[in-house]
Amino acid sequence: MSDAAFGVSAVASVTLLTVLIGSFALRFSRTTSDFYVASRSVSPLWNASAIGGEYLSAASFLGVAGLILTYGVDMLWFPVGYTAGYLVLLVLVAAPLRRSGAYTLPDFAEARLESMVVRRIASVMVVLIGWLYLLPQLVGAGLTLRLATGVPGWLGGLLVAAVVVFSVATGGMRSITFVQAFQYWLKLTALAVPVVFLALAWRGDGSPSLDGTSAPTFRERTTVNVSEGTTFLVTSPVRVRVTGVLDGQPYAGVGLRLARGSHVAGRGARLTFPAGTAVPHAESIEPSAGGDWATPLSGAGGREHPLYSTYSLILALFFGTMGLPHVLVRFYTNPDGRAARRTTLIVLALLGGFYLFPTVYGALARLYTPDLLLTGRTDAAVLLLPQRLVGGLLGDLLGALVTAGAFAAFLSTSSGLTVSVAGVLSQDVLRGTVRDFRLAAALAVAVPFLISLGAASLAVADVVGLAFAVAASSFCPLLLLGIWWRRLTDVGAAAGLLAGGGLATIAVSATIAGASRDGWLGALLAQPAAWTVPLAFLVMIVVSMRTPGRVPPNVARTMVRLHAPEALPLRRDPPAHRRPV
Amino acid sequence: MSSSLEGTSRAGHDPATEDDYVRIQQSEKFQELRRRHRSVVFPLAAVFLAWYFVYVLLADYAHDFMSTKIGGSNITVGLIMGLLQFVSTFIITTVYVRLANKNLDPIAKEIREEIEGADR
Repeated sequence: MSDAAFGVSAVASVTLLTVLIGSFALRFSRTTSDFYVASRSVSPLWNASAIGGEYLSAASFLGVAGLILTYGVDMLWFPVGYTAGYLVLLVLVAAPLRRSGAYTLPDFAEARLESMVVRRIASVMVVLIGWLYLLPQLVGAGLTLRLATGVPGWLGGLLVAAVVVFSVATGGMRSITFVQAFQYWLKLTALAVPVVFLALAWRGDGSPSLDGTSAPTFRERTTVNVSEGTTFLVTSPVRVRVTGVLDGQPYAGVGLRLARGSHVAGRGARLTFPAGTAVPHAESIEPSAGGDWATPLSGAGGREHPLYSTYSLILALFFGTMGLPHVLVRFYTNPDGRAARRTTLIVLALLGGFYLFPTVYGALARLYTPDLLLTGRTDAAVLLLPQRLVGGLLGDLLGALVTAGAFAAFLSTSSGLTVSVAGVLSQDVLRGTVRDFRLAAALAVAVPFLISLGAASLAVADVVGLAFAVAASSFCPLLLLGIWWRRLTDVGAAAGLLAGGGLATIAVSATIAGASRDGWLGALLAQPAAWTVPLAFLVMIVVSMRTPGRVPPNVARTMVRLHAPEALPLRRDPPAHRRPV
Repeated sequence: MSSSLEGTSRAGHDPATEDDYVRIQQSEKFQELRRRHRSVVFPLAAVFLAWYFVYVLLADYAHDFMSTKIGGSNITVGLIMGLLQFVSTFIITTVYVRLANKNLDPIAKEIREEIEGADR
């Protein structure tokens, strides 16, 4: 009961603070350009904090630790990729894109290729990627609120959705810059402070081996509450005391011997395992066992073809960042190229520093919350560790802090994404007034919320990885060829976007809908970037070469605008009618 | 929601005329800037990508090395090497920022001054 009180106050304070800071800063956002891009007047450290605050989502805060708990060191590529994506963005794209004056990816597509068709396709891709990225945020919010307070999962998603629509629709970008910067430091604190106590408790426990060759085992007698029904695999026969429904039979505290193979625990069942038993795991995951956990490429994500999967993941994350709608617009808040570079360096330091913590949580979770492997809810590792390992009042307080950080993560990333998706929706679907922007904000969140109701068991970092794969297969070739290759044509760009983005979307949808991850087909679908990214490039180049007559007429001017130094007296702003009035 | 008309309306408000664009485009300085920009950006991108991909391969071939524990502790080489990727990313970015500040900014400034001077 007191657990719920702590959880509720943590969630309430973050939500309240976010709304307060948002409406406080609203007073400063007077003119339209303030409303939209914070008028390029933010210092590099503030801006970098805001980028970090916006970027560190549920996937980073909860998902990375969950994946490391389950699959081991290979999963470090997730945070490394999330970080290195900024390097690729900075080196290849950031400066020319700023100079283009395009506020959004569709703006860039239209300005560079002078085609409304390409613009529309780009708009559809932005909305798809935005929804795909919002989905795991809402799933994570549901999980967090359920753990903290015991309310049903959909309520957390609904709460985040409502707060985000409210703050985005009333605050705009300027307020979001302040909110985001605050969120980064909150998230860092929320993981860093408990780590100190976790490390002390771990030492007090005799510093058991983190890469435990015998893990995952229950280190002490453990009762697992199966709050939502689960199917799990027993790898070697175990004795268990069952209260509730198991394999279709009701039990009331009866000792049973479970044979090897698959078992179904009903909703609300309680399973008590004796100390030293190997942990059964949910059917939906294949955790790495024993020493494999600490060995690279021993089965990336429990999947076959680890080398392919790892390369594909790296490609998706490195080249997907530039195509994420909420990332790009932040680079406008730098006054010049030099400041943009300094900002990026600070961003890398902030992100790299942050990701040390989920790694530690993931390793400790393997020792102290292995039961999550049974329920398959490994994303809960970060949230549960403080109570489990530290315990008592201190554990509850630390747990509340982590919960607050997690909510900050959902709110910040969802706000950034919603601003971008709503911007595109209001400009390209509605008429582009501020009222349309507010309607679009509601629409941007409603769709992923509805999908999240039926997708509660997805691993959040995995789904975010899929959003990166779609971005890398569509916007990466559009941006790189658009910036560095004069002969790109509108037909080529459209064909490449449809081929790469379309196939990646199909592969990703199949994976989310639960397609098998076995064999080559499974690997190709679960990690599509390694084939969809080259394919998109190939289609864009070949089709462009075959349609030389369709090179945009003003390409010389566009190329000068992209590559000429900053501050030349060239018009770079988007046309006035594009901005909300 | 306009289309090709926009190009012309944009040019209409443009402080620089169409001739300016062609002049800049054809100027030796601009070509030099683009050449230098490419000669920094593309090799650097190739090198850092190669670094990550080769690292993954090495990790595959050096399983035993990766599972070595560091000095009696419980932390393996693989874990440390994974975390070091953050450091390597930071170092590569620092190199790029230095190169850009040193090689690209000065010539960009020259072009800007040249063109602004010519406008007066």
